[in-house]
Amino acid sequence: MKHRSLVLFMLLLLVLSPLLVAAADDFELTIPLPLTGKPAKFGEIMKHSYEIAVEEINAKGGVKGKKIVLGFEDSTGKPETARAIVEKLIDSKKQPIIVGEYTSACAKAVAAVAEERKTPYLIVASADDDITQNKYKYVFRQNQVNAHYGDAVVDFLKNVVKPKSIAILYESSAFGTSGADAMEKDAVKINAKVVLKEKFETGAIDFKPLLSKVKAEQPDVVYTVAYANEAQLIMKQAKELRVDARLYAGGAAGFAIPEFIKGAQDAAEFVISATLWSPQLKYEGAKEFADKYKAKYGEYPSYHGASAYAAMHVTADALNRAKGLSPDEIRDALKATDLKTAYGPVKFEDKEGYQNQNFHETLVIQVQKGEFENIWPQSQAGKAYIFPIPSWRERK
Amino acid sequence: MMKNAFPYIGLGALLLFPLLGFSSYLMHIAILVIMWSVIGMAWNLLGGYCGQVSFGHAAFFGVGAYTAGMLYSKLGLSAWWGIPASIVVVTLVALVIGYICLRLRGPFFALATLSMGVILRITAENLVKITGGDIGIMIRERTWVEKIWYYYIILALAVMTFLVVKQVVGSKLGYYFVAIREDQDAAESLGIDTTYYKTVALCLSGVITGLAGAFYTNYMGYIDPKVVFALHDISIITIMVVMVGGAATFSGPVVGAVIMVLLAEMIRSIPKLGAAHHTFFGLLLIVIIIFLPNGIVGDFEKIRKLFRTRQEQP
Repeated sequence: MKHRSLVLFMLLLLVLSPLLVAAADDFELTIPLPLTGKPAKFGEIMKHSYEIAVEEINAKGGVKGKKIVLGFEDSTGKPETARAIVEKLIDSKKQPIIVGEYTSACAKAVAAVAEERKTPYLIVASADDDITQNKYKYVFRQNQVNAHYGDAVVDFLKNVVKPKSIAILYESSAFGTSGADAMEKDAVKINAKVVLKEKFETGAIDFKPLLSKVKAEQPDVVYTVAYANEAQLIMKQAKELRVDARLYAGGAAGFAIPEFIKGAQDAAEFVISATLWSPQLKYEGAKEFADKYKAKYGEYPSYHGASAYAAMHVTADALNRAKGLSPDEIRDALKATDLKTAYGPVKFEDKEGYQNQNFHETLVIQVQKGEFENIWPQSQAGKAYIFPIPSWRERK
Repeated sequence: MMKNAFPYIGLGALLLFPLLGFSSYLMHIAILVIMWSVIGMAWNLLGGYCGQVSFGHAAFFGVGAYTAGMLYSKLGLSAWWGIPASIVVVTLVALVIGYICLRLRGPFFALATLSMGVILRITAENLVKITGGDIGIMIRERTWVEKIWYYYIILALAVMTFLVVKQVVGSKLGYYFVAIREDQDAAESLGIDTTYYKTVALCLSGVITGLAGAFYTNYMGYIDPKVVFALHDISIITIMVVMVGGAATFSGPVVGAVIMVLLAEMIRSIPKLGAAHHTFFGLLLIVIIIFLPNGIVGDFEKIRKLFRTRQEQP
């Protein structure tokens, strides 16, 4: 009996311990992000990147002389859990700024809390357009909105590929839907006919019926918006079925992470994708960050990582410029941000119906010899694009 | 005497709870616990008393949530109208689901309801013009920022549900339900119209779950098909709430909701446990289910005995 109460006591202590350990002169920053479930891969990339950034910031003296102590909480991709975490951070921990989350559904839940509680919230990689269209005063977004994710790809198609027809495949999610809708609108502008627009279930495995439809339509370009696994499977199965298109294009996310090349292997070759960032970008610090990440974790980070890394620098910058550490002072400092980061210039603007939105250039990357290479816009191109691409039969 | 007073003391404590000045985080957890109690009690009526194990309660939850959401997004009404409206809508949906699924028994019924949940999710995803599809519905401004009103609304819903369950189980209806659970053929041969009473159980259970769904829309301010029609996050958790607490008991779902929400949240908050919190929590659930197959409330005697024998030893 005695033994049992001791064990219970220890368990209680374990649960309460986060409340007990908090040094006074540290700035605690806990980040909600998905560490389990389907979006866990993205959560992991971002977690690593936040850590790298905080190490750098602390080495330079932290914020306002305080060291940033980073913490993470797993939101498991569930909005109500994300909400619980943020309520706790704002209420119990009095954290004056919220950074993080990944899926758009969670970011929406967090944004609503942040606005109600008048605490600034910096969105790092959630793309759904309407998050920054709600006239929220306290919600800032560093990554580009989904409607603009494909800008560079559209530009590339217009100037190089000049397609007459395009097939759009997208996964059934807020991200997939808004990405596909944006491409459908853009296709009209470049005089390409959308011959097929098909949705598939998130987590689907067999894409052959879908790809057979694509084969029947023989589109010039196949544009796909998908998270991790689906992107790899679509390319693999397109190779098996020898569905030839003049170009395969992806709308960021699953097409722009290292897993894509690892998973799809040679089927990934020549595929282009929209992305928000790549290690070869000519922004100061981009290469250093990518190398640091690679040295530590064995692969290059995707744009999610870079955005997280830069977000931490943006946060530190705002905290340092803020008059004090109250949410409103931080909010004003964040609004005045004009920072050159490894992710590109960051500035929160109100235009096109968005508020506090950072508009930045998007890129096109192409898989060449098993590596992502920047190919468009030409000012940022690291290598020349390969187009036209060989058909599946011509490849060995 | 004490036993009779207990529910009133409990209710009094719950009524006073928000006045103690807890942080909005604790209030959020309390609201979720009560919401899950409501859903658990609703499921218990069908699964616990009537013996029809449903794996698709997300269908009712989602329909309730979308009723509220669509009143807001399509008709410009307050999403609170979703609470009365969902009673009608969910009843209709439950009748359709019941018409299809209640011809089946046991595991086949479970599988049919499971597929109903998934079918409704895919429907909501694809009826873009009506539901907004995957983009979901976002309520721009929730009615209140403070949690206290949400707390009292969901508490009122919970008390009402509790009374309904108690009333139903104590009445002739409840005996019919149990008879159907114990042996459907025997019940049928005694002259009970089993299909009719199973439909009644399904409708009651569905409507209460739908009310919780409508509340969810108002409270969270954002829904999308993957959130409210979720197989794992709604349907399976509902079953777990009842199984852990104790099926066919009055307080089982409440105890289950406390464990599934509060304990899950506490374990998730343990620092450095990271992604392992699912494993940890899963193990705990396995232990409960192995040693207390009737749930914590159902096997309460077992727990008491365990402690009593220990105390007798010197």
